[in-house]
Amino acid sequence: MRKALTVLLLTAAITLPFMFFDILPDIGDPASAPNSHVSDYYIEHAIDECNSPNMVTAVIVDYRAFDTMFETTVMFLAGVAVILILAYHPKRRLIVPSRFRRFDARTGEPMYNTVNKDVMVSIIQALILIYAIYVLFHGEVSLGGGFQAGALIGMTYLLDVMVCRREVPLFRLGKFKAAGTAGLGPFIYAVTGLLPFIGGGLYLQYSKLPFPVHEAELHSIGITIVEIGVTIGVAGTIIAIINALRERIAFDDEL
Amino acid sequence: MMLIIEAILLAGLISIATAIIFGRDLMVSVVIYCAFSFITMFLYIIMGAPDVAFTEAVIGVISTVFFIIILRSVKRDAKRRGEK
Repeated sequence: MRKALTVLLLTAAITLPFMFFDILPDIGDPASAPNSHVSDYYIEHAIDECNSPNMVTAVIVDYRAFDTMFETTVMFLAGVAVILILAYHPKRRLIVPSRFRRFDARTGEPMYNTVNKDVMVSIIQALILIYAIYVLFHGEVSLGGGFQAGALIGMTYLLDVMVCRREVPLFRLGKFKAAGTAGLGPFIYAVTGLLPFIGGGLYLQYSKLPFPVHEAELHSIGITIVEIGVTIGVAGTIIAIINALRERIAFDDEL
Repeated sequence: MMLIIEAILLAGLISIATAIIFGRDLMVSVVIYCAFSFITMFLYIIMGAPDVAFTEAVIGVISTVFFIIILRSVKRDAKRRGEK
């Protein structure tokens, strides 16, 4: 009975979507609704209205700002979920990097000690951080934006944790502090959305931000603030997940 | 010309996906998975979405490292697991 039900449900789940493929527009069809109305509007008006040569950023953070806000919230929730599932470990303290270091089987010497890892990693980290800031503040002009910049900052922390064994880490964030940072991102986003109320606008209507500059500039400012929020959120989430994973670094071995 | 490159990349994607599924050692699968996201990145660039390609490149590396951190702490070989 149960098997028959499973098969029935699976068949339904697989076949039903195919029945509705006819309703969807063809990919690349110039006469379809999204291609004939929305896209044209974005292409014609994005630069004037949002002051942002990169149309992707304009669409993500300006036209579809509400959507992106909850996207960052989903990210934050993912980080919190990982912490709740993985990092609940009452008796174990933080076990880290010595497990990541290999020792030669015969001599007991640490391997890969021809290059000073700490120095190399510091240089790479500095470059990645500079690039992250560049990506963040150039998001509206060139490639990138908040998500990528946040991921790059998270990568810096990852390098710090995985490769180096230094006394003072580049920056130290516990798992709950990291989760708090991750929550700060959506918070900044939401508060930016509230700011236009002061100027008499709607939620996330950047042209009504209470700053004394030209309207096109206001869009730039709004996009940048929101991108900073997204960056903080993404970086916090990644760091939170790394910390949670590190706390549960021994899953099977000691149980 | 672009079509040929795209076809090669797509064929690579399919073969890599098969290799990931049928690999014996999970660590090998994870490393090949990194190659999967790398090829996907090229496909995004060909399709004219460099923004998405950038994200894919960064996230592909980070997720690979996450998988490796996990795999270091679980028994990763199906055969060894059976013995113990």
